[in-house]
Amino acid sequence: MSNVTVIGEGAVVRGRIQGEGDLAIAGRVEGDVEVSGEIVVEVKGLVAANLTGQRVVVRGAVRGDLVGAESIELDAGARVVGDARAPRIRVAPGALIRGFVTTGPREPGATKSRTAAASAARPAPKPAVAPKKVEAPQSAPAAKKAEPPKPVAKIPAKPAAKSAPARGATIAGARPGPPAPVVPALRKGAKAVHKKRA
Amino acid sequence: MATTVIGAGITIEGDLSTDDDVVVQGTLRGKLTARDGVVVEAGGSVEADIASGPAQIAGAVTGNITSTDRVDLQNGAKVVGNVKATRITIADGAQFKGSVDMDV
Repeated sequence: MSNVTVIGEGAVVRGRIQGEGDLAIAGRVEGDVEVSGEIVVEVKGLVAANLTGQRVVVRGAVRGDLVGAESIELDAGARVVGDARAPRIRVAPGALIRGFVTTGPREPGATKSRTAAASAARPAPKPAVAPKKVEAPQSAPAAKKAEPPKPVAKIPAKPAAKSAPARGATIAGARPGPPAPVVPALRKGAKAVHKKRA
Repeated sequence: MATTVIGAGITIEGDLSTDDDVVVQGTLRGKLTARDGVVVEAGGSVEADIASGPAQIAGAVTGNITSTDRVDLQNGAKVVGNVKATRITIADGAQFKGSVDMDV
């Protein structure tokens, strides 16, 4: 048990964790995790990272992809937003997962991107790779229902448009090439209304 | 057990901050902030500035150690960096290169 790493409750790690041994996360981890042994995300664990390990057990919350060389287990109370890939995956009742789930033996050209994996699998004439694929559709609706809405960073479009002319002038002065086209932020139909009034 | 342990064979590259104890048996690169004690065991390696409560160093530390309590450099410790603490002990056999700053 000397090779067990514990991220205690209240601890925050921002960065990469890698190496040989097991890992238990009861705190927060932001950054990728890649260990040779077992990864356990405890009930109070909060992970915003991709987790790669021999066995991945989730009882807390994970935002990121899970890759298990042997297995992935999502216990009751687990919240996962991300893809899961392992030869064996267990999703307990009460666990939430939103993402692409792939079981079966590891495909040689398997990538993290689901679109790339799908397009690669489609043109193959032999169903050699396909039948092993098992998905867990029953958990998907529950995940959608119970998953709290994630705070989406809104892009402040309006202030940028207002300050665009001034910024464009400075850029034009600094650059030798032609200035960036500055499009006045006019509402659609604003000119027409103006003409009509005139 | 809210203690954070970095096991032997594990490397963390980045910041680690906690309100509790930290035990380093593996490697930490980046920054280590603990409100409570920090123990760097023999074989453990920290390439980071350490800000903590009481610190016991038996492994290798490259970086400054700032402690609100005492710092013990034990036998086998290898420390390169400045140490700031209220109390400090340097055991026979500890290697230390750096300056010591104590509130007098």
